[in-house]
Amino acid sequence: MGRKKKKQMKPWCWYCNRDFDDEKILIQHQKAKHFKCHICHKKLYTGPGLAIHCMQVHKETIDGVPNAIPGRIDIELEIYGMEGIPEKDMEERRRVLEQKTQGRTFKFLFTHLGCVSQKHRMPPMMPGVPPMMPGMPPVMHGMPPGMMPMSRMMPPTHGMPPMMPGMPPGIPPPMGHHPGIPHMAQAPPTIRPAVPATTVPTSQPSVSKPLFPSAGQVQQAGSGVAVSSSAPPSAAPKPTFPAYTQSSATAAANTSSTVAKAGTPVTSKPATLTTTSATSKLIHPDEDISLEELRAQLPCYQCKVPSAGQAHVTSPPVAPMGGVLPPLQGIPAQQPGVRHPMQGPFGAPLQGMPGYVPGGMPPYGQAPPMVPPYQGAPRPAIGMRPPVMSPGGRY
Amino acid sequence: MTGANEFKLTQGPEDSVSAVKFSPSSAQFLLVSSWDCTVRLFDVSANSMRMKYQHLAPVLDCAFYDPTHAWSGGLDSQLKTHDLNTDQDTIVGTHDAPIRCVEYCPEVNVMVTGSWDMSVRLWDPRTPCNAGTFTQPEKVSRREGRSGSGAGAALICLHAVCGCVSGLHAVCGCVSVRAFPNKQGYVLSSIEGRVAVEYLDPSLEVQKKKYAFKCHRLKENGIEQVFPVNAISFHSVHNTFATGGSDGFVNIWDPFNKKRLCQFHRYPTSVASLAFSTDGSLLAIACSYMQEQGDVSHPADAVFIRQVTDAETKPK
Repeated sequence: MGRKKKKQMKPWCWYCNRDFDDEKILIQHQKAKHFKCHICHKKLYTGPGLAIHCMQVHKETIDGVPNAIPGRIDIELEIYGMEGIPEKDMEERRRVLEQKTQGRTFKFLFTHLGCVSQKHRMPPMMPGVPPMMPGMPPVMHGMPPGMMPMSRMMPPTHGMPPMMPGMPPGIPPPMGHHPGIPHMAQAPPTIRPAVPATTVPTSQPSVSKPLFPSAGQVQQAGSGVAVSSSAPPSAAPKPTFPAYTQSSATAAANTSSTVAKAGTPVTSKPATLTTTSATSKLIHPDEDISLEELRAQLPCYQCKVPSAGQAHVTSPPVAPMGGVLPPLQGIPAQQPGVRHPMQGPFGAPLQGMPGYVPGGMPPYGQAPPMVPPYQGAPRPAIGMRPPVMSPGGRY
Repeated sequence: MTGANEFKLTQGPEDSVSAVKFSPSSAQFLLVSSWDCTVRLFDVSANSMRMKYQHLAPVLDCAFYDPTHAWSGGLDSQLKTHDLNTDQDTIVGTHDAPIRCVEYCPEVNVMVTGSWDMSVRLWDPRTPCNAGTFTQPEKVSRREGRSGSGAGAALICLHAVCGCVSGLHAVCGCVSVRAFPNKQGYVLSSIEGRVAVEYLDPSLEVQKKKYAFKCHRLKENGIEQVFPVNAISFHSVHNTFATGGSDGFVNIWDPFNKKRLCQFHRYPTSVASLAFSTDGSLLAIACSYMQEQGDVSHPADAVFIRQVTDAETKPK
């Protein structure tokens, strides 16, 4: 297990059961997640403190501690770091930790996650979805084989037996974690956060407990810097992979800290990124296009791009197809004909065009072997996948 | 800055490096494409440039089809293949907009290119000629279409073969994608210090193993600086991968145990591209300022070759 800390266990947050390396970090976490006013974002020191603030300053009552798991939302209990935690909860925690260290496996992690995530909207994700890895259901119902205290993920090669039927009963506590999970997500989705289950510490202690602690002590010094985004759930920019971290709009209400950076929301603000927020700065130009695209627009490179005429030498005259414009928004006054020969006529309608461009080689049949997937590939790739791939019906 | 196990290539490109790729058969040869419109072949063991060929405009990606043929494409929208034995090049075809990504897909034996014209095209290396085109689905946000499509070309090819639905379209601001050597999944990186690991098997159990993590972030004076993660490369033997970001750091990660294995010293400027040699003994690190902060003075472009050890790349 990790370093022994006061009370003979690592500091953990009573409100959401997350583990921390350090009490200081725990307190920062509590202030940012549980004692933060949702109206003015002021960070208070305790639950009651927050309640009083809301009442006096905003004339609003709050009925529970934000981002806390059910059962731990008592706003009147004065808890600060590890102080004030009721004895029975401490004992329960110790018990759970002990169970953990006996090495149960976390397979049902996955079922649990499956249930949890269903409640969140994850449209783009695959069915069943994007878990975040965090939940560890508390109960390790005697999974004999395998105990892998260290890795939370059975390497894919292990034949993991299907989820324990006994799991569902164990799930409720983690289920209630919805509020907890998103915020956990701020910190890199360490498996550790969350859930009553507590975490089996990774085999190497590390500076802060990021998802990827340094496996080797050697690079310890360097590691803290680059990977240190765990505990201080500082207003992280809205992540690029919203599905995983679940800090998308639905969770935003719970976790005001995520809102700091609008980031790169899929649906809004297509043109620019919010690159700076109170606590973080994205080292990227403001325009929401890739670095290469931005650079390609620089005058010194523009002159090198061949004119429209040359670019279409070998394309068959299936013009509409080819005209799927590079949707570069930031090209106001560029030499028009140069890179976007099809700019004019092709607006929205293009998107629907499937278009299969046979590549200008009519005698396709001459090269059959090279495109096996279209023919009789073991799996019928086509049609399953959104990219409209119409092999011209030759196969 | 460089140690005994690392050196810088001489006669490197005169402008930013866009991609580096090792030859599939040997750790001796490295292909380097650059914004100076050239693609160069280096003999790494002798630290010399063996060959160089030109495009009409900056080259954005290059790949080996086999040890004797290099393929490349860039802003001139032309896909070229160069025979490394005869030093001759051929224009294979074009896209309607700059080509962002060129990859070889061994399962199908095609070269795959992704472009800013939102299409992915397949090319038969033997003839060579166009073998097909896919358009990005309309649901895919334009951002992904642009940076993602290129980077995801190889992946899409993989998907075509495996018939799986890709989570790629959930991603925005994706900079780079690489598939696991064991083909079980892939790794995506974004412009804001985040990397996601996803699996191709659509079954629920496997899909639940997906995760994402933050990386390449530096905290200075209370402000967290978030850097794009520009490069990913897998170690073919250990299934671990390296990421390179605009912060100038290279990290090596173990995706199964979710640990970082190693972080190298900080490079003088952004890491634009990474490539492990096929035997996993060398890592090529291309350092070029990528204009993240506009036009500022920056260190010169360089490609470093580093000998990597098991301690740095093998899961513990």
